[in-house]
Amino acid sequence: MRIFFQIRPIFAALRSHKTAVLLLVLEIALTMAVLGNLVFIVYGTMQRSHTPTGVAESQIGLIQSIGVIGEDNPGTVAGNLATMRAAPGVADAAYGFLPLWHADRGPLFLDASRQHPAVHAYEFVGSQGLNRTLGLHVVRGRDFTDTELPDVMDVLMGKIAAPVQALLTESLAQRLYPDGNALGSILYDGTKSLRVIGIVDHLRGEITGSASDDDSLVYEFRVGTQNMGGGYLVRSQPGRLPEALRAAAAALQKANPGHVESKVLTMAELRENYFESDLAAGRMLVAIMLILLIVTALGVSGLASFWVQQRRRQIGMRRALGATRRDILHYFQMENLLIVSGGVLLGALFAYALNLFLMHRFELAHLPSHYLAVGALALWLLGQLAVLGPALRAAAVPPVVATRSV
Amino acid sequence: MFGYYLDLALRSLKRTPILAGLMMLAIALGIGASVTMLAVLHNLSGNPLPGRSDMLFHPQVDPRPADLPGATEEPPDDLTYVDAVNLYQLGIAPRRAVMSSNWLPVRKDAPDSPLAMFTDRATTADFFAMFGVPFLYGSAWSAQDDANHAQVVVLSRAMNQKLFGGENSVGKTLVIATKTFRVAGVIDDWNPQPRFYDINDGPFAKAEQMYLPFFTWLDLPQDYGYGPMRCWGNDPGAGLHDPKAKQCTWAQFWVQLDTPAQVAEYRAVLTQYSAQQHQLGRYQREPNVRLRGLLDWLDVKHVIPVTVRMQTWIAFGVLLICMVNTVGLMVAKFLRKSGEIGVRRALGASRRAVFLQCLVEAGVVGVAGGLLGLPLAWLGLWMVRQQPVSFAASAHFDPSMLGIALALAVLSALAAGVWPALRASRVAPALQVKSL
Repeated sequence: MRIFFQIRPIFAALRSHKTAVLLLVLEIALTMAVLGNLVFIVYGTMQRSHTPTGVAESQIGLIQSIGVIGEDNPGTVAGNLATMRAAPGVADAAYGFLPLWHADRGPLFLDASRQHPAVHAYEFVGSQGLNRTLGLHVVRGRDFTDTELPDVMDVLMGKIAAPVQALLTESLAQRLYPDGNALGSILYDGTKSLRVIGIVDHLRGEITGSASDDDSLVYEFRVGTQNMGGGYLVRSQPGRLPEALRAAAAALQKANPGHVESKVLTMAELRENYFESDLAAGRMLVAIMLILLIVTALGVSGLASFWVQQRRRQIGMRRALGATRRDILHYFQMENLLIVSGGVLLGALFAYALNLFLMHRFELAHLPSHYLAVGALALWLLGQLAVLGPALRAAAVPPVVATRSV
Repeated sequence: MFGYYLDLALRSLKRTPILAGLMMLAIALGIGASVTMLAVLHNLSGNPLPGRSDMLFHPQVDPRPADLPGATEEPPDDLTYVDAVNLYQLGIAPRRAVMSSNWLPVRKDAPDSPLAMFTDRATTADFFAMFGVPFLYGSAWSAQDDANHAQVVVLSRAMNQKLFGGENSVGKTLVIATKTFRVAGVIDDWNPQPRFYDINDGPFAKAEQMYLPFFTWLDLPQDYGYGPMRCWGNDPGAGLHDPKAKQCTWAQFWVQLDTPAQVAEYRAVLTQYSAQQHQLGRYQREPNVRLRGLLDWLDVKHVIPVTVRMQTWIAFGVLLICMVNTVGLMVAKFLRKSGEIGVRRALGASRRAVFLQCLVEAGVVGVAGGLLGLPLAWLGLWMVRQQPVSFAASAHFDPSMLGIALALAVLSALAAGVWPALRASRVAPALQVKSL
C-alpha cells in the first residue's frame, strides 16, 4: 500500500512539467481514439468473414457453364443434372444461384399494384433439388416437392397465373409479416406472385454485416429438355468436395462439348474471393495500428528517460533518505499509470467523436464501449512496458549522487 | 548565421542521441504512413491519359421518362442503342468511338481446339487513335471495316501470348462466338487507370483482352450480356437482353474535340439533337445534356475507393500523433539545454536568435526523419502492391512524391518545433546562469 502514499508527491512533481505531461496525455488520448476505432473496424471485418451463409458451405461447389450459341449442344439441363449426380462423390446437384455469387436484391410487394416495395430481398432461383443441394433447413411450414414445381419456361416467360411456391428466411418473414402470419400469404416480386409455403432458418445472399443480409426468398422451377447455361451446383458427400467437383465438372464438359466452363469453384474459394479486398484493407489497418503503438511507446519511454535523467539528483536524495530501489521503481510506474489513465479518459471522448465522424462519412456502426475497455487495457500495458526501462535505470541511481554536484 | 545554427543543432542532437533518434523515428513513421497513402491517393486520382485527356469528352443525353421514380438530374452514364447509333453517325467530332463490353467464347481456328471465355471491348475504329493505344503488330481496323461489319479483331498482348505464343499473329484467324475473325493487330500492354472510358465494372477494372468492331459484335449470335445494361419501365425486351430495347442504356460514347469552339459546337448539337428527339416524342424530357472533359468526368464519378479515402484520413491521424509525440520530446530536449540558452542570452543573443536556433534543430530532425521515412513509404507501397485489390497496381513510388515526402517531413517537424522553440526562447537568462 506504500505505493499509494506516493500519489500526492507524484502530482506535485507533475505540476512542474505541465506541458510535457499534457502533451503525453494528448498523445495517448489520440492513440486511444484511433486505436479503438481501428480495432473495431478490423474485428468487424474478421467477424464478417466468418459469418455463415446458412447453406452447407463445406459440401457445395459451383460450375459456371456457359453455352455457346450456334455450337452443337446435345445436352439438356435435366440430363446434365443426372450426369453430375452420377459422378463419384456427388450427393446432389441443381441448376441455380448460391450465396456470395452475383447475389442481387429485388423489390418485393405486398399487393398486386406494386406501388411501394415492402422490402428489397435476395431471390434464390433454381431447378428442382436446389433446396437439397444448398442444404436449407425448413423450420416451419413445408419444403418444396419436385412434382408440383412450375415449368422453367413458363416462369421465365411470365406465363403463370397461379402463385409460385416460395420459402422465406425467418428474418424476411419477420420483416414482411411482423404478426407472424407469413405461412400461406401471397406476395409479389417484379413479374409474378408467390405463395409462402415454408420458413428456413438462414440464407444470406451477401455478408455485408447488415441484418438485411439474411432477407432471402427461394423458389424453384422444373427443368427438363432445355439447353441452359449458367450456374450448376454440386453437393458432395461429406469431406469429398474437391474430387466430387472435379469429377462433376469433367462429366459436365464431356456431355456439353459446346459449353465453356469458365469457373469451377468450391464455396470456400467463393468466400475467399468475396472477402479478399476487405481482409486486405484489414491488414493495412493492422499495420497502421502497429505503427501507432510503436510511436506511442517511443514517446512514453523517451519522455520518461528524460525525466529520470533530469531528476537523478532528487532520486539520489530520496535514496539517501531511506527510499528503497523498489520505491523509486514504483514511483515511476505509478506516475506512468496516472498519465496513461488521464490519456485513456480523454481518449474515450476522442474515440466517440472519431466514431461519430466515421459513422457520418463512411457508414461505420456505433462503437461499443467494450472496445474502449480493451483499448484502455492495451495502453496501460504499453505504458508500463515503455516505462520499465527508464524506471529500472532510475532505481539503479546510487544514493551517493545526492552529495555530488551534477 | 544559418551555418552556425546548423552546427549548434548537430552538436546538440549528438549530445542526446537517444532522444534525437526517437524524434526522428517518430517523424519517419508518420511520414512513412502518410506518404504511402498519399502516393496511393495521388496515383488513383491521377490522369489516365496525360497529354490527351484535355481533348476527350463524354457526351450524355437524357432519354428517361418524365416521371421516373427516384430519378436525379444527372442523365444516365451510358446511351441507348438508338442514341448510340445516332450520335455515332453525327460525325461532327474529329474522332468518336461508341463502345460496350462483355465476354465471348473463343477458340483457335483448328479442329477440336478448346473453348475459353475472353473479355472483349466492342468499339469503333477511332478508339485506338483517340486513346493513343500502342500497337505491337499490325494496326487498328478502318472506318470502312466498321461500316462493312467486317470480322476483324485486335488482340491484347496477353491474349496473343496465350493463343499464339506471342508471335506476330496478324492475318491469322480465330473463332469468336462461332464466327471466324481475322487478326488485324496486336496492341502492347495498355491499361489506363482509372479505366475512364467505362467505369461500370469499377473504376480500376482491367482493360479487356480483345477488341471487336462494334456493329460486327452486335450481329454475333450471342447472349453473354451487354455491358452494364440498365433499363427502366416495364420493357418486355429488358428481361430478354435485347440490346436494341428502347428503354435500356448500355453503350459508352466518347468524342475527341480539339478546340473550345468545337466543344461549344458539339454541346449545341447535343442540345439540338435532344430537342429534336423531344419533338419526335422519343424523349419525354426537355434537353438535358452533359459534355464533360475526361478529368471532370472522373471527378463527378468519385472514382477513389472509400477504403482508400478512409485509410488516408487515418494515415494523417497517425502523422498528427507522431507530431504530438515530437512536440513532447522537443519540449524536453530544449528545456534540457536551458542552461546553455541562458548563457547565450546573457552573452547577448536575442530571443529571436534562440528561437531560430531551436527551429533549425527541429528542421534537422525533420530532414533526417523524412530521409528515414522514404524507405518506410517505399516499404508501405510494396505492402499495398501485395494486396489483392483492384488498385494495387497503382501503388508505385512517383518521383514527385520524394519531394513531397521531404517537404512534409520538414514542415511537420517545424510545426512541432515552433512551440517548444518559443518556450525555449522565453528562458530567463539570469535564473539559468545563476544555477550553473
